[in-house]
Amino acid sequence: MSATVHAGSSQIVAVEQFANASTVLGAAFAGAALNLRYIGIVASLSDVLAGLSLRAKLVAIHITGDENWALTMSERAKSKDIGASFLIGSGLVMICVWTVSTASGALVGTVLPDLERFGLGFAFTAAFIAMARGLWRGRPSILPWTVAFGLAITMVYLGLPKAYTIVASALCGLLASHLVRQIRSASQ
Amino acid sequence: MTSSHWLIIFTLAVAALSIRVIGLFAGSKVRASKHAWVLEELPGLIVVSLIATSLSGQSAQMWMAAAVALGVAITTNHVIATMCLGVGAFGGLSLIMG
Repeated sequence: MSATVHAGSSQIVAVEQFANASTVLGAAFAGAALNLRYIGIVASLSDVLAGLSLRAKLVAIHITGDENWALTMSERAKSKDIGASFLIGSGLVMICVWTVSTASGALVGTVLPDLERFGLGFAFTAAFIAMARGLWRGRPSILPWTVAFGLAITMVYLGLPKAYTIVASALCGLLASHLVRQIRSASQ
Repeated sequence: MTSSHWLIIFTLAVAALSIRVIGLFAGSKVRASKHAWVLEELPGLIVVSLIATSLSGQSAQMWMAAAVALGVAITTNHVIATMCLGVGAFGGLSLIMG
Protein backbone atom coordinates (compact mmCIF):
# COMPACT_ATOMS: atom_id res chain seq x y z
CA MET A 1 0.00 0.00 0.00
CA SER A 2 2.81 2.42 0.86
CA ALA A 3 4.47 1.87 -2.51
CA THR A 4 1.32 2.09 -4.64
CA VAL A 5 -0.62 4.81 -2.78
CA HIS A 6 2.32 6.79 -1.30
CA ALA A 7 0.19 9.14 0.80
CA GLY A 8 0.57 8.76 4.57
CA SER A 9 -2.54 10.42 5.97
CA SER A 10 -4.74 8.89 3.26
CA GLN A 11 -3.47 5.40 4.03
CA ILE A 12 -4.04 5.79 7.77
CA VAL A 13 -7.57 7.13 7.33
CA ALA A 14 -8.52 4.51 4.74
CA VAL A 15 -7.30 1.68 6.98
CA GLU A 16 -9.10 3.15 10.00
CA GLN A 17 -12.34 3.58 8.03
CA PHE A 18 -12.08 0.07 6.65
CA ALA A 19 -11.44 -1.39 10.11
CA ASN A 20 -14.52 0.40 11.48
CA ALA A 21 -17.01 0.15 8.62
CA SER A 22 -15.52 -2.54 6.34
CA THR A 23 -16.70 -0.83 3.16
CA VAL A 24 -14.05 -0.60 0.49
CA LEU A 25 -15.48 2.36 -1.43
CA GLY A 26 -16.20 4.42 1.68
CA ALA A 27 -12.69 3.85 3.02
CA ALA A 28 -11.07 4.64 -0.33
CA PHE A 29 -13.15 7.82 -0.72
CA ALA A 30 -12.28 9.01 2.80
CA GLY A 31 -8.60 8.38 2.13
CA ALA A 32 -8.61 10.00 -1.29
CA ALA A 33 -10.42 13.12 -0.06
CA LEU A 34 -7.52 13.76 2.32
CA ASN A 35 -5.22 13.96 -0.67
CA LEU A 36 -6.93 16.88 -2.39
CA ARG A 37 -4.04 19.24 -1.60
CA TYR A 38 -2.04 17.25 -4.17
CA ILE A 39 -3.98 18.99 -6.93
CA GLY A 40 -2.28 22.23 -5.86
CA ILE A 41 1.05 20.56 -5.07
CA VAL A 42 1.33 18.85 -8.46
CA ALA A 43 -0.03 21.91 -10.29
CA SER A 44 2.77 23.98 -8.77
CA LEU A 45 5.28 21.51 -10.29
CA SER A 46 4.15 22.41 -13.79
CA ASP A 47 7.31 24.40 -14.53
CA VAL A 48 9.60 21.78 -12.95
CA LEU A 49 8.09 18.94 -14.99
CA ALA A 50 7.94 20.82 -18.31
CA GLY A 51 9.88 18.97 -20.99
CA LEU A 52 9.55 15.50 -19.45
CA SER A 53 7.68 12.71 -21.25
CA LEU A 54 4.19 11.85 -19.98
CA ARG A 55 5.51 8.58 -18.54
CA ALA A 56 8.27 10.40 -16.63
CA LYS A 57 5.74 12.95 -15.38
CA LEU A 58 3.47 10.18 -14.08
CA VAL A 59 6.38 8.54 -12.23
CA ALA A 60 7.50 11.91 -10.85
CA ILE A 61 4.06 12.86 -9.50
CA HIS A 62 3.55 9.43 -7.96
CA ILE A 63 6.80 9.61 -5.98
CA THR A 64 6.17 13.22 -4.96
CA GLY A 65 5.35 13.65 -1.27
CA ASP A 66 4.91 16.74 0.89
CA GLU A 67 8.52 16.70 2.03
CA ASN A 68 10.42 16.26 -1.24
CA TRP A 69 8.02 18.61 -3.03
CA ALA A 70 8.56 21.37 -0.45
CA LEU A 71 12.31 20.77 -0.46
CA THR A 72 12.41 20.96 -4.26
CA MET A 73 10.41 24.21 -4.37
CA SER A 74 12.46 25.70 -1.54
CA GLU A 75 15.78 24.86 -3.20
CA ARG A 76 14.46 25.96 -6.60
CA ALA A 77 13.67 29.35 -5.12
CA LYS A 78 17.41 29.65 -4.38
CA SER A 79 18.64 28.22 -7.69
CA LYS A 80 16.78 27.61 -10.94
CA ASP A 81 19.21 24.71 -11.63
CA ILE A 82 17.11 22.66 -9.21
CA GLY A 83 14.50 20.86 -11.29
CA ALA A 84 13.01 17.51 -12.25
CA SER A 85 16.17 15.51 -11.41
CA PHE A 86 16.15 16.83 -7.84
CA LEU A 87 12.41 16.13 -7.48
CA ILE A 88 12.68 12.58 -8.87
CA GLY A 89 15.86 11.73 -6.92
CA SER A 90 14.45 12.94 -3.62
CA GLY A 91 11.12 11.30 -4.43
CA LEU A 92 12.79 7.91 -4.98
CA VAL A 93 14.53 8.23 -1.62
CA MET A 94 11.23 9.25 0.00
CA ILE A 95 9.14 6.38 -1.37
CA CYS A 96 11.84 3.79 -0.51
CA VAL A 97 12.21 5.09 3.06
CA TRP A 98 8.42 5.37 3.46
CA THR A 99 7.78 1.84 2.21
CA VAL A 100 10.57 0.21 4.22
CA SER A 101 9.80 2.13 7.42
CA THR A 102 6.03 1.50 7.29
CA ALA A 103 6.66 -2.21 6.64
CA SER A 104 9.13 -2.26 9.55
CA GLY A 105 6.64 -0.40 11.72
CA ALA A 106 3.98 -2.99 10.95
CA LEU A 107 6.38 -5.75 12.01
CA VAL A 108 8.07 -4.30 15.11
CA GLY A 109 6.22 -1.02 15.84
CA THR A 110 4.52 -2.30 18.97
CA VAL A 111 7.82 -3.00 20.75
CA LEU A 112 9.33 0.44 20.05
CA PRO A 113 9.17 3.23 22.66
CA ASP A 114 7.10 6.39 22.01
CA LEU A 115 9.38 8.19 19.52
CA GLU A 116 7.32 11.41 19.83
CA ARG A 117 8.90 11.83 23.26
CA PHE A 118 12.28 12.39 21.58
CA GLY A 119 10.95 15.13 19.31
CA LEU A 120 10.97 13.08 16.10
CA GLY A 121 7.47 14.31 15.24
CA PHE A 122 8.68 17.89 15.54
CA ALA A 123 11.40 17.23 12.94
CA PHE A 124 8.63 17.36 10.30
CA THR A 125 7.48 20.80 11.48
CA ALA A 126 11.06 22.12 11.75
CA ALA A 127 11.83 20.93 8.21
CA PHE A 128 8.79 22.74 6.82
CA ILE A 129 9.71 25.91 8.73
CA ALA A 130 13.11 25.81 7.00
CA MET A 131 11.47 25.22 3.62
CA ALA A 132 9.04 28.10 4.20
CA ARG A 133 12.08 30.33 4.75
CA GLY A 134 13.30 29.38 1.29
CA LEU A 135 9.90 30.20 -0.26
CA TRP A 136 9.54 33.59 1.47
CA ARG A 137 9.20 36.34 -1.15
CA GLY A 138 9.42 39.38 1.10
CA ARG A 139 6.71 41.93 1.79
CA PRO A 140 4.17 40.62 -0.78
CA SER A 141 4.08 37.35 1.21
CA ILE A 142 3.14 38.96 4.53
CA LEU A 143 -0.64 39.22 4.11
CA PRO A 144 -1.27 35.95 2.21
CA TRP A 145 0.91 33.93 4.60
CA THR A 146 -0.68 35.55 7.65
CA VAL A 147 -4.16 34.78 6.31
CA ALA A 148 -3.26 31.14 5.53
CA PHE A 149 -1.47 30.60 8.86
CA GLY A 150 -4.16 32.27 10.98
CA LEU A 151 -7.02 30.51 9.22
CA ALA A 152 -5.34 27.09 9.46
CA ILE A 153 -4.66 27.53 13.19
CA THR A 154 -8.29 28.61 13.77
CA MET A 155 -9.86 25.84 11.67
CA VAL A 156 -7.87 23.07 13.36
CA TYR A 157 -8.62 24.63 16.75
CA LEU A 158 -12.33 24.48 15.85
CA GLY A 159 -11.96 20.76 15.16
CA LEU A 160 -11.96 20.73 11.35
CA PRO A 161 -9.91 17.96 9.69
CA LYS A 162 -6.34 19.03 8.93
CA ALA A 163 -6.39 17.85 5.32
CA TYR A 164 -9.33 20.09 4.38
CA THR A 165 -7.91 22.92 6.47
CA ILE A 166 -4.71 22.91 4.39
CA VAL A 167 -6.67 23.21 1.14
CA ALA A 168 -9.04 25.90 2.47
CA SER A 169 -6.35 28.06 4.07
CA ALA A 170 -4.09 27.88 1.00
CA LEU A 171 -7.02 28.97 -1.19
CA CYS A 172 -7.82 31.90 1.13
CA GLY A 173 -4.13 32.82 1.06
CA LEU A 174 -4.36 32.88 -2.74
CA LEU A 175 -7.32 35.29 -2.52
CA ALA A 176 -5.29 37.54 -0.23
CA SER A 177 -2.39 37.35 -2.65
CA HIS A 178 -4.70 38.36 -5.51
CA LEU A 179 -5.84 41.32 -3.40
CA VAL A 180 -2.24 42.38 -2.75
CA ARG A 181 -1.48 42.20 -6.47
CA GLN A 182 -4.56 44.29 -7.33
CA ILE A 183 -3.59 46.96 -4.80
CA ARG A 184 0.02 47.03 -6.02
CA SER A 185 -0.98 47.33 -9.68
CA ALA A 186 -3.54 50.04 -8.86
CA SER A 187 -0.93 52.09 -7.00
CA GLN A 188 1.60 51.91 -9.88
CA MET B 1 -4.68 -10.54 3.14
CA THR B 2 -8.24 -10.92 1.84
CA SER B 3 -9.58 -9.82 -1.55
CA SER B 4 -11.14 -6.78 0.21
CA HIS B 5 -7.70 -5.70 1.41
CA TRP B 6 -6.27 -5.90 -2.11
CA LEU B 7 -9.33 -4.09 -3.49
CA ILE B 8 -8.96 -1.17 -1.10
CA ILE B 9 -5.24 -0.85 -1.89
CA PHE B 10 -5.99 -0.85 -5.63
CA THR B 11 -8.91 1.61 -5.33
CA LEU B 12 -6.96 4.02 -3.14
CA ALA B 13 -3.91 3.82 -5.41
CA VAL B 14 -6.03 4.68 -8.46
CA ALA B 15 -7.75 7.53 -6.58
CA ALA B 16 -4.44 8.94 -5.30
CA LEU B 17 -2.85 8.88 -8.75
CA SER B 18 -6.00 10.37 -10.34
CA ILE B 19 -5.85 13.35 -7.98
CA ARG B 20 -2.20 13.90 -8.91
CA VAL B 21 -3.02 13.65 -12.63
CA ILE B 22 -5.77 16.27 -12.19
CA GLY B 23 -3.10 18.51 -10.65
CA LEU B 24 -0.77 17.82 -13.57
CA PHE B 25 -3.31 18.95 -16.14
CA ALA B 26 -4.59 21.82 -13.99
CA GLY B 27 -1.00 23.07 -13.64
CA SER B 28 -0.46 23.06 -17.41
CA LYS B 29 -3.70 24.98 -17.96
CA VAL B 30 -2.99 27.54 -15.25
CA ARG B 31 0.63 28.01 -16.38
CA ALA B 32 -0.58 28.99 -19.85
CA SER B 33 -3.20 31.40 -18.50
CA LYS B 34 -3.13 34.91 -17.03
CA HIS B 35 -3.36 33.30 -13.58
CA ALA B 36 0.13 31.76 -13.78
CA TRP B 37 1.05 33.75 -10.65
CA VAL B 38 -1.04 31.23 -8.67
CA LEU B 39 1.64 28.57 -9.28
CA GLU B 40 4.29 30.87 -7.77
CA GLU B 41 2.24 31.58 -4.67
CA LEU B 42 0.84 28.10 -3.97
CA PRO B 43 3.99 26.37 -2.62
CA GLY B 44 4.57 28.91 0.15
CA LEU B 45 0.90 28.96 1.10
CA ILE B 46 0.62 25.16 1.27
CA VAL B 47 3.83 24.90 3.34
CA VAL B 48 2.62 27.62 5.74
CA SER B 49 -0.71 25.81 6.07
CA LEU B 50 1.08 22.51 6.77
CA ILE B 51 3.12 24.19 9.52
CA ALA B 52 0.04 25.84 11.04
CA THR B 53 -1.96 22.61 11.13
CA SER B 54 0.91 20.78 12.84
CA LEU B 55 1.26 23.53 15.48
CA SER B 56 -2.41 24.26 16.18
CA GLY B 57 -3.49 23.04 19.60
CA GLN B 58 0.03 21.86 20.51
CA SER B 59 1.94 22.47 23.74
CA ALA B 60 3.82 25.65 24.63
CA GLN B 61 7.10 23.77 24.30
CA MET B 62 6.32 22.91 20.69
CA TRP B 63 5.52 26.56 19.91
CA MET B 64 8.76 27.64 21.60
CA ALA B 65 10.73 25.02 19.67
CA ALA B 66 9.04 26.27 16.48
CA ALA B 67 10.16 29.80 17.35
CA VAL B 68 13.73 28.53 17.78
CA ALA B 69 13.49 26.68 14.44
CA LEU B 70 12.18 29.84 12.77
CA GLY B 71 15.08 31.84 14.18
CA VAL B 72 17.57 29.26 12.90
CA ALA B 73 15.84 29.15 9.50
CA ILE B 74 15.93 32.94 9.15
CA THR B 75 19.59 33.04 10.19
CA THR B 76 20.94 30.05 8.26
CA ASN B 77 18.34 29.33 5.53
CA HIS B 78 19.48 25.70 5.93
CA VAL B 79 17.06 22.76 6.25
CA ILE B 80 19.31 20.30 8.12
CA ALA B 81 20.56 22.92 10.60
CA THR B 82 16.97 24.01 11.28
CA MET B 83 15.81 20.42 11.81
CA CYS B 84 18.71 19.52 14.13
CA LEU B 85 18.53 22.65 16.26
CA GLY B 86 14.71 22.63 16.26
CA VAL B 87 14.52 19.02 17.44
CA GLY B 88 17.32 19.75 19.94
CA ALA B 89 15.33 22.70 21.30
CA PHE B 90 12.19 20.55 21.53
CA GLY B 91 14.09 17.84 23.42
CA GLY B 92 15.75 20.38 25.73
CA LEU B 93 12.45 22.08 26.49
CA SER B 94 10.84 18.70 27.18
CA LEU B 95 13.53 17.99 29.77
CA ILE B 96 13.14 21.42 31.40
CA MET B 97 9.35 21.63 31.31
CA GLY B 98 8.71 17.95 31.97
